Amino acid sequence: MKKKHHKPHRSQLHANYVRRIRIQEFWVVFTRIALLVLFIAGWEYSADAGWIDPFLFSSPSRITELFIQMAGSGNLFHDILVTTVETILGFALGTLGGISLATLIWASPFLSRVLDPYLVVLNSMPKVALGPLFIVAIGAGYGSVLAMGVAITIIITTLVIHTSFQSVDRNYLRLARSFGASRGQLFRKIIFPASIPDMIAALKVNVGLSWVGVIVGEFLVSKDGLGHLIIYGFQVFNLNLVLMSLLIVAVCATVMYKIVYWLEKRLLKYRMAE
Amino acid sequence: MSGHAAIEVRQASKTYLSKQDQVDALTAVSFRVMPREFVTLVGTSGCGKSTVLSMIAGLIFPTEGEVRLFHEPVRGPSRRIGYMLQQDCLLDWRTVEQNIALGLEIQGQKSDEMMKHARYLLNELGLGHTLYQYPSQLSGGMRQRVALVRTLAVQPDVLLLDEPFSALDYQNKLHLEMLVTRVLKQQGMPALLVTHDLEEALAVSDRILVMGGQPGTIRRTMEIPNDLRKANPLDARAHPLFRPLFQELWGEIDQ
Repeated sequence: MKKKHHKPHRSQLHANYVRRIRIQEFWVVFTRIALLVLFIAGWEYSADAGWIDPFLFSSPSRITELFIQMAGSGNLFHDILVTTVETILGFALGTLGGISLATLIWASPFLSRVLDPYLVVLNSMPKVALGPLFIVAIGAGYGSVLAMGVAITIIITTLVIHTSFQSVDRNYLRLARSFGASRGQLFRKIIFPASIPDMIAALKVNVGLSWVGVIVGEFLVSKDGLGHLIIYGFQVFNLNLVLMSLLIVAVCATVMYKIVYWLEKRLLKYRMAE
Repeated sequence: MSGHAAIEVRQASKTYLSKQDQVDALTAVSFRVMPREFVTLVGTSGCGKSTVLSMIAGLIFPTEGEVRLFHEPVRGPSRRIGYMLQQDCLLDWRTVEQNIALGLEIQGQKSDEMMKHARYLLNELGLGHTLYQYPSQLSGGMRQRVALVRTLAVQPDVLLLDEPFSALDYQNKLHLEMLVTRVLKQQGMPALLVTHDLEEALAVSDRILVMGGQPGTIRRTMEIPNDLRKANPLDARAHPLFRPLFQELWGEIDQ
């Protein structure tokens, strides 16, 4: 009897709690959207009213107009495609290459000790400074842009993943060795899977880094791509073009980040299972 | 006589070497574990208890002396050994079922039959319902029981226990002690336990080896009276012989 009396009281409490949370969530989303609308409206109005120079800072309507015009001709999608493909390739090659290099180094402790100072030097160096070298070696084309995207991610990935391999709980290794595990088995059964969270973390960092590499690469060499549009827009002082390209880069990079985030959730579902 | 021993350690010494230093961890340790016998190594931390266990498990080798397992010199990890650590070491990316299969996979003897046996053991320990759960969904006591199943799944002939109960709360510790002693008795399996918990040592063992010193060696052997051996770990703690023996053991350790 007591329980029966108790139950509606509790569910009322719970309902109130859920309602309070929902209201909070609503205000967060609402404020977010309001901020964006306010920003765009303010930008547009300032440009129209002459508070800022639309020649320098453009305006949302001018950017939209340009977008529609360029999208109509189809060239824009070609540029988006080129940059996105370069970035995905650079990102994938850099990350996979980094993981493979880390595996290679792990497989040979001797090699690991030999290469250590070189990796440190390579990692400290700003990779974009290698741009001219790539152009000389590979030629002023997609190859150099891709090389830049790879160069900027591969070394740091190697270092991070190798550290992750080495920091696997020693007791796990003890356990596997007590079952008679070979070095290869240790790697496949324990070390590699234990490092997957760190690999996902590296993926997330590399999404951002490979965009840097590819955009800078396109600044230097390319005849198409979003980086080219930005640098071209700057050269002919078409700031509408620069800002529009920037916005597209932001959207593409966010989409890629979200995909990696989704991948993380799927691969690490055992962590969410509480 | 020695031909019957499950584990035999003969005059084993261990020196750890590093660039700066050498540390003598063990000196002239000798003892035997007979079939069906439960032997416990006790001693303060740093006396080399775990080193002895690692040597028997074939993870490290004595600098001098010899370790034999069922008459054979130990040259590396053996399939006849089941090794349990203080940490349950469950792989958190594997389900319980995949975790208990780890040893079988590594030893290349995973088969439907062996897995059936592993699941049977899991059921026996009251964890049948957790088969498809992840370790993060289990409590500490349940996790250590899964670790026990993983150890037993490879059907070892001798069990090495490196403080497997130490990280558990008192209630879980008692439960697991009862469980392990029961399984060992059922299967007639010999075991060597390392612990710093004197009560635990008295409650579960047939014989206690007291280690001490730097480098460590065996100071004393204490045979547990039959009455106490027969009692389960819970009843043993309430036995009239328990306290006096505890005091004696305590005096031995305290020096």
